[in-house]
Amino acid sequence: MSIIYILIPIAMIFVTIAIIVFFWAVKSNQYDDLDREGVNILFDEDLPAPPIKEDTESQQKTIKPSDLND
Amino acid sequence: MTLQKNCFHCGEENPPSTDFNVQINTVSQRMCCPGCQAVAQTIVDSGLTSYYEHRSEPAEKGLLLVPDVLLQLEDYDIGKIQEDFVDNVVDNNENLSTTTLSVEGITCPACAWLIEKQLRSLPGLVFINVNTTLNRAVIKWDQQQLKLSQILTGIQKIGYKAYPFQVNKQEAFYTQLTKSYLQRLGLAGLATMQVMMFAIALYADFFSGMEEQFIHYFRWVSFILATPVLLYSAQPFYLNAWRNIRNQTLGMDIPISIALLGAYTASGYATIVGQGEVYFESVSMFTFLLLLGRLLELRARRKASESSSNLLRLLPSMATLIEDPDNLQIQSVIPAKTLTVGQYIIVKPGQTIPVDGLILKGASNIEESMLTGEHLPVSKAQNAPVFAGSVNITSQLIIRVEKVGNNTLIADIIHLQDNAQLNKPKIEIIADTAARYFVAALLIVASLTYISWSFIAPDQAFWITLSVLVATCPCALSLATPTALTCATAQLNKQGILIKQHHVLETVNKINHIVFDKTGTLTKGNFKLLNTQYYSHYSKQECIDLAAQLEKNSEHPISLAFKKQQKNSIVLNDVVNRPGQGLQAKYLNKTLKLGHAVFCGVENNINSKELVIYLTLDKQLLASFELGDELRPSAPEILSYCHHHNINSTMLTGDISLKSEEVCEVLSISQLQKGVTPQQKLQYIQQLQKTDKVMMIGDGINDAPVMAGAHVSVALASGTDIAKNSADVILLGEDLNKLAALHKMANRTTLIIKENLVWAFGYNIIIVPLAVMGYVPPYIAVLGMSCSSLIVVCNSLRLLKS
Repeated sequence: MSIIYILIPIAMIFVTIAIIVFFWAVKSNQYDDLDREGVNILFDEDLPAPPIKEDTESQQKTIKPSDLND
Repeated sequence: MTLQKNCFHCGEENPPSTDFNVQINTVSQRMCCPGCQAVAQTIVDSGLTSYYEHRSEPAEKGLLLVPDVLLQLEDYDIGKIQEDFVDNVVDNNENLSTTTLSVEGITCPACAWLIEKQLRSLPGLVFINVNTTLNRAVIKWDQQQLKLSQILTGIQKIGYKAYPFQVNKQEAFYTQLTKSYLQRLGLAGLATMQVMMFAIALYADFFSGMEEQFIHYFRWVSFILATPVLLYSAQPFYLNAWRNIRNQTLGMDIPISIALLGAYTASGYATIVGQGEVYFESVSMFTFLLLLGRLLELRARRKASESSSNLLRLLPSMATLIEDPDNLQIQSVIPAKTLTVGQYIIVKPGQTIPVDGLILKGASNIEESMLTGEHLPVSKAQNAPVFAGSVNITSQLIIRVEKVGNNTLIADIIHLQDNAQLNKPKIEIIADTAARYFVAALLIVASLTYISWSFIAPDQAFWITLSVLVATCPCALSLATPTALTCATAQLNKQGILIKQHHVLETVNKINHIVFDKTGTLTKGNFKLLNTQYYSHYSKQECIDLAAQLEKNSEHPISLAFKKQQKNSIVLNDVVNRPGQGLQAKYLNKTLKLGHAVFCGVENNINSKELVIYLTLDKQLLASFELGDELRPSAPEILSYCHHHNINSTMLTGDISLKSEEVCEVLSISQLQKGVTPQQKLQYIQQLQKTDKVMMIGDGINDAPVMAGAHVSVALASGTDIAKNSADVILLGEDLNKLAALHKMANRTTLIIKENLVWAFGYNIIIVPLAVMGYVPPYIAVLGMSCSSLIVVCNSLRLLKS
């Protein structure tokens, strides 16, 4: 039974990681529009899908008109 | 192929004998109107037919693009106008602009894809993201290559309307708050799961025993895991409780904080000294459930504030500046907010006057309904004052700017509104009353328990008192109100009733007096042909066509009434518009006149409360038209609902015409106050509120202060922004019966809240004696708490069923 002295701390580390990931997801606005992302996959995108949502400050790849071939 | 009954694009019925078709994926699809046809054609031409395959809702009816509208969009390109809503960012060493637009007509995720796809083809657009929950689009573009008006036009072409809007003050705050609550909830949820796992193991100890070292170990682990929940997740409760104590009021957060901190501290102590009970799982789960309730409530509020933000369009307010009143050649169009006192501006017919000023040259009829509620234009001549927000109807004016910005009449009204908002009377809500009793009872029971057990078994006293605190934990009680309000708000949202202030649902059913504004609220606020009489061999339609053709040369609100009924165009020559009198023209070499009795030379004129105008051809009377502001069809119904529920009604209007008495009579409204200024309106309602609980419903700028001061205020979505800002509730659409729906929903909500409270108290009455006798171990406390909370939540969910 003394194995739990090791296993439980490991589990706690995992929970901590989960919480950090969740915080990051909230901060990067991933919970803002839940209706849409599920449907996105149905469309024939010949462009890389845009990032889910990004802050206006962060970097964003410019889509050149030449990428558009539809 | 059979004829399709419904429009392929918007799903409305196709009118017979029309033929609008678009080839979509090799099949010809029928549309109901040229607007839908144009939109569908654009979608096909852009290669976006995928939209039609994946959409889950029909689109909104397409609108044909009118050149005027497109011209107006160009005003948005002016730098001074953009200052209000565009931010400039530097991205990859490029200067880009970014803004958020509110988009009308988004019905499903396919719409978002369509808009993004369509706009990505524009050169210079760097980023676009359409959010279907908010109906907004974030765009980033390069001003060098692309104009904002082009982006707006692009969106219009595929059948949506986008425009910059003014973010509601509350909205940013709610968005931030929702995010932080979501984080707190996530942490509480994950930690609660862990703590619960160890708690289950500890329960096993009650039934079969466990080695001492493991019990200690599990308790320590629970202690560690519960700590962030207490310190981080539960923070808002402590802050609210502290605020309540400082303001010397009792709120639900005080007993919550007592229970949380008390239970946690005592459990922590028990863990360290190695004896007594631990309630870490109760503490964590309690925090989790409460946060869930709060988050749902916040989200409902956020939704309402976002929807109301979307209604506040930022229209570019432009002014035509002239250097010299005698030389009209040199004109420049500038944003109205840059005007200064002493400058001269030209206001053309149909334009809104941007500032307070004096008429320097010209005479015109001016519609000041926004300020006075009077929808008949007032004629004004040289040296008469004009006010920002009123509309110039008949002819061009040259105005000297007298007051700008904060000194205008509108700014005064807004100031009045802000003051009224501060002094708004409050109606006591049930939850606060319940909280007060509960806190008192809780403290008394807990102290009595401690004192009695100190005599019976001193070493047990502390732990039993703690179990009383945990068992009576006000979880169900504090979830009772928020869950019910959230469900009701969501349900009303679906019906097009936006609740901006949460207290509304609890206060509406106490309302015993509704005050109505007249113009634009009980009436439609525009002219309609009510009565027509004919005196010659000309048929009814011919007379209307003649009148409508003449009216085409006028900007008067009357012209719209005729425009709707015109069937055929008629050729008229030499049309002359005589502001304040009427119009005349040559028709078949005879003089055709439309206007007042005097202008047309009619002797025995008709007596009417409404506006009567005559149509004559060379002195021969062809027809007389009676025009008036028509009642909304839903007005009689809502008034009979009021009478039926013993709610008093008053009409409060700035209009001084006899029309008010007539409307009151038709609708059997018991009291009438007419010809009142915004200031007097506010005084009247404050007087009324000494005896009654008052709801105000209005739409104009002149109603805004009253709305801010009333117990509950309702604005129509078609109303002015200022009115919508000060309202607690916004009704989308034209149906006043939504007030009845709101009233019924408020009654149901209050009933459910009462049921919830009764249940929560009932549960406490059962559990307290057990706890006092020391029969409540941790697992019973958790079980009772979760079950009572779940029952309350399920009861609230009944409100979602209409």
